[in-house]
Amino acid sequence: MSICQDLGLNFQQRMGANISQLERDIGSEQFPPNEHYFGLVNFGNTCYSNSVLQALYFCRPFREKVLEYKAKNKRTKETLLTCLADLFYSIATQKKKVGSIAPKKFIARLRKEKEEFDNYMQQDAHEFLNFLINHINEIILAERNQSTLKLQKNTSGENVTCNGTVPQSAEPTWVHEIFQGTLTSETRCLNCETVSSKDEHFFDLQVDVGQNTSITHCLKCFSDTETLCNDNKFKCDNCSSYQEAQKRMRVKKLPLILALHLKRFKYMEQYNRHIKVSHRVVFPLELRLFNTSDDAVNPDRLYDLVAVVVHCGSGPNRGHYISIVKSHGFWLLFDDDMVDKIDASAIEDFYGLTSDIQKSSETGYILFYQSRDASC
Amino acid sequence: MAVQPDSGGKDDVKTQFVTREGTYRLMTLSEYSRPNRVGYTSGSGSSHVRVSLVSLPPGPGGGPPGSDGQGSDDRICFNHGKELYVYVYRGVKKAADLTKPVDKKMYKGTNPTCHDFNTVTMTADSVSLVIGFSTGQIQLIDPIKKELSKLYNEERLIDKTRVTCIKWVPGSSNLFITAHASGQLYVYNEELTCGTTAPHYQLFKQGDGYSIHTCRTKSTRNPLYRWVIGAEGSCINEFAFSPCGTNLAVASQDGFLRVFHYDTMELIGRARSYFGGFLCVCWSPDGKYVVVGGEDDLVTVWCFSERKVVARGQGHRSWVSVVAFDPYVVSFTDPESDEGVEDDRQKSESVQCYRLGSVSQDTQLCLWDLTEDVLRPPVRARASAHLSPNSQTFSPNGVPGMKVPAKGTKSNKIGHKHAELSGQNNPSGESSGAKQPAKTKVNNVSTLNISVGKAKEESSGSLGVNSLTQRLAGFSFGDRRSEHRRNFSLSKPAEQKSSASNTVALRGKSAGATTNDSFDPLKLIGTASCPRFDECPVLEPLVCKKVAHERLTALLFRSEYFVTACADGCVNTWARPARSLNGESRPLRRFEKIDLVD
Repeated sequence: MSICQDLGLNFQQRMGANISQLERDIGSEQFPPNEHYFGLVNFGNTCYSNSVLQALYFCRPFREKVLEYKAKNKRTKETLLTCLADLFYSIATQKKKVGSIAPKKFIARLRKEKEEFDNYMQQDAHEFLNFLINHINEIILAERNQSTLKLQKNTSGENVTCNGTVPQSAEPTWVHEIFQGTLTSETRCLNCETVSSKDEHFFDLQVDVGQNTSITHCLKCFSDTETLCNDNKFKCDNCSSYQEAQKRMRVKKLPLILALHLKRFKYMEQYNRHIKVSHRVVFPLELRLFNTSDDAVNPDRLYDLVAVVVHCGSGPNRGHYISIVKSHGFWLLFDDDMVDKIDASAIEDFYGLTSDIQKSSETGYILFYQSRDASC
Repeated sequence: MAVQPDSGGKDDVKTQFVTREGTYRLMTLSEYSRPNRVGYTSGSGSSHVRVSLVSLPPGPGGGPPGSDGQGSDDRICFNHGKELYVYVYRGVKKAADLTKPVDKKMYKGTNPTCHDFNTVTMTADSVSLVIGFSTGQIQLIDPIKKELSKLYNEERLIDKTRVTCIKWVPGSSNLFITAHASGQLYVYNEELTCGTTAPHYQLFKQGDGYSIHTCRTKSTRNPLYRWVIGAEGSCINEFAFSPCGTNLAVASQDGFLRVFHYDTMELIGRARSYFGGFLCVCWSPDGKYVVVGGEDDLVTVWCFSERKVVARGQGHRSWVSVVAFDPYVVSFTDPESDEGVEDDRQKSESVQCYRLGSVSQDTQLCLWDLTEDVLRPPVRARASAHLSPNSQTFSPNGVPGMKVPAKGTKSNKIGHKHAELSGQNNPSGESSGAKQPAKTKVNNVSTLNISVGKAKEESSGSLGVNSLTQRLAGFSFGDRRSEHRRNFSLSKPAEQKSSASNTVALRGKSAGATTNDSFDPLKLIGTASCPRFDECPVLEPLVCKKVAHERLTALLFRSEYFVTACADGCVNTWARPARSLNGESRPLRRFEKIDLVD
């Protein structure tokens, strides 16, 4: 965590012991009513959780649904979702405008729920996000099943795979409504020219990063045509055999909140470990997708950047996570229990590096884009 | 641990590339940077290296003072980090001499961000240079005489934010305009002071999404005017005067291009990016088109006369930092390449073509051909206007005295024409276009031939984007989306008709609206200001080459060369294709790069 010491020091110098520096920066008149900016205390390498939770808290549709859940479910047994709802509720009902809070119950529950997180090691923020979203969704589905008593007990467990794919048939939960999009993968057999397409759902898109590119370009590459050949041939139903084929994946249903995971940790065989790819990838505050399918429902959906989980450091199991979020028109930086107002122009510090000389970098890792039609 | 992960690694940086007019070559000896390269830091922070070039009028006794007797009248200015350099620019013929800068400045606590030479008041041994700074101040110096040094907004009472663009008002000896990150433009008179107190403004004029103020004082002071443009605090990234100096195009971070009539201060047109901010803007040499580049990785072509977005260019992998028309490659006729189809030759000759260049944070240079038949779909049956090849010398960036060699005709062999454009052309394009008889018929057969020929050319040195799009184009899923056009439009009459009629119908709507709603991008999508992606022709670049290791920040076209600059502070010169076919003018490139550090 040495990497972020500069950053931390910087904050401490600026903030001193006075926690209301943030309030001063924002200004009492400008401070949005009913909004609270609370840092989350780190329990030893829990910044992966803190950064994702802050980002999710400032995804307004998600926050509202979680708080709604809290209001509706007064006396249920403790789950990760109730812990999350309690945490969000506790932030939202603070008397003070700013401060910090210890997500003790949530972390304790998390460690019980998933073995991988039951330690004091640094975890991958994206793995955590993926787990959290899927797990919450499972809880909602399970509760729904319980209450309706229509479906068998174990459906949800089987249906939700770790890839974030979920069954089409089930009625969507609010997690689906917020995060779920649909990819359509079109495959053209090079032998018989038949085009077959298959839909799959996603909670986030995982994109490869290239040096000096934009997230727009990375997304376009995500939808590049890929030729299936050699060991990876396509089983064509029409030809009833394995054939060479061309395949591409495009977005058919654009989610309300588009979560983009930049694949910055690459396994390098020659080093036998994961290496951080610090490539400079710019991400605009506003986004539309170029890689939508022809039958996409709302292909020019306009997104606004609302939160970024930033990885600081040199490797996947080292370093630190922070997040920057947009709230009421200004940007805030959450670094565990510290919160600071930043200028929008400072976001460019998190695009990445154009050279590989420096070991460590502070780079955007998960981007949350929210559809503009959702916010109004 | 200098790990170079496999993907996205260093593609080779190109030192030459081929277009149909020939080979462009990097002149390695004509690289300008700071004299001592030790301690060069690359890529940290937002180093927006910009370049200003000026051609001084020749002095009475030959070489002007300060030119070390080498007889070049050109001066180059560029900024990098805290530093600013002015050198004698010796073009492609002679190597850069970095040991004797005409002037160099090092600033403390602030960085120069942009600059502009005054071409009205310059003499053989004097030129005014205005410089904008990251902290909002403005300096006026004479880098040759070194007598002059004035400061404006010194106490930052007028604006505290970064100067993003600074330019002399065309034809003016004393007025210049600065744009700031705060979203405001200021008009300064270099002869006036800025006062010792913050200015009190009074509203002078107001329009849809902008307002103009003057200072409320007894004596005239700076700024003469303050233009507040767009959403509050949304940075103005660049502005550009039309070649005739009448209109002002402003590209903003709020995603809007706004075109004003400068004197009447009326908003006369606008466009919206597909998404994200517009970062750069330029006018076509005849003032008929405005091109903007931005955070949507696109170049967007906006037609002045129709007040609508007529095409988008897709080819960059990241944000587009500079767009510039190449006024020396304008009209394209290709009588020799399509000998098989003689009937079509005459028709294709009248296709008007503009050459556009763009550079991006993706370290790539793209060249685009904008042809009239793409910009004006044939359905509209509009005659393409011819640019008069003589009359007044067109001066890009308002640099008079630019000598366009009359050797142009020779180079026609390879299909491009050096032409001098009239700066007097009607910017609206309406009347000049209307005067022409409707003799233009766009021909698809010949243009098809050209595309094929070019595709071959490209495939030899194919680079990611082209081959990629080619692959996609060959991958037919029966796309409903509009076809990518490499260059000339292939006839898709049905689609074009629908989009044309569509946009015409919508134009009235967007132009008539005066509420704040009219700037809501959700409402603008599908209008003439921001067509849906499949409603608007999508162009592909003619060439798309990685030409630097760092993100590119400047692009200027001159008659014999063009200039690029990138964030690490290197300013490079690219020679245009050799005019003689025997390659006599090429020996320069055989030299290896010489280390000029003492």
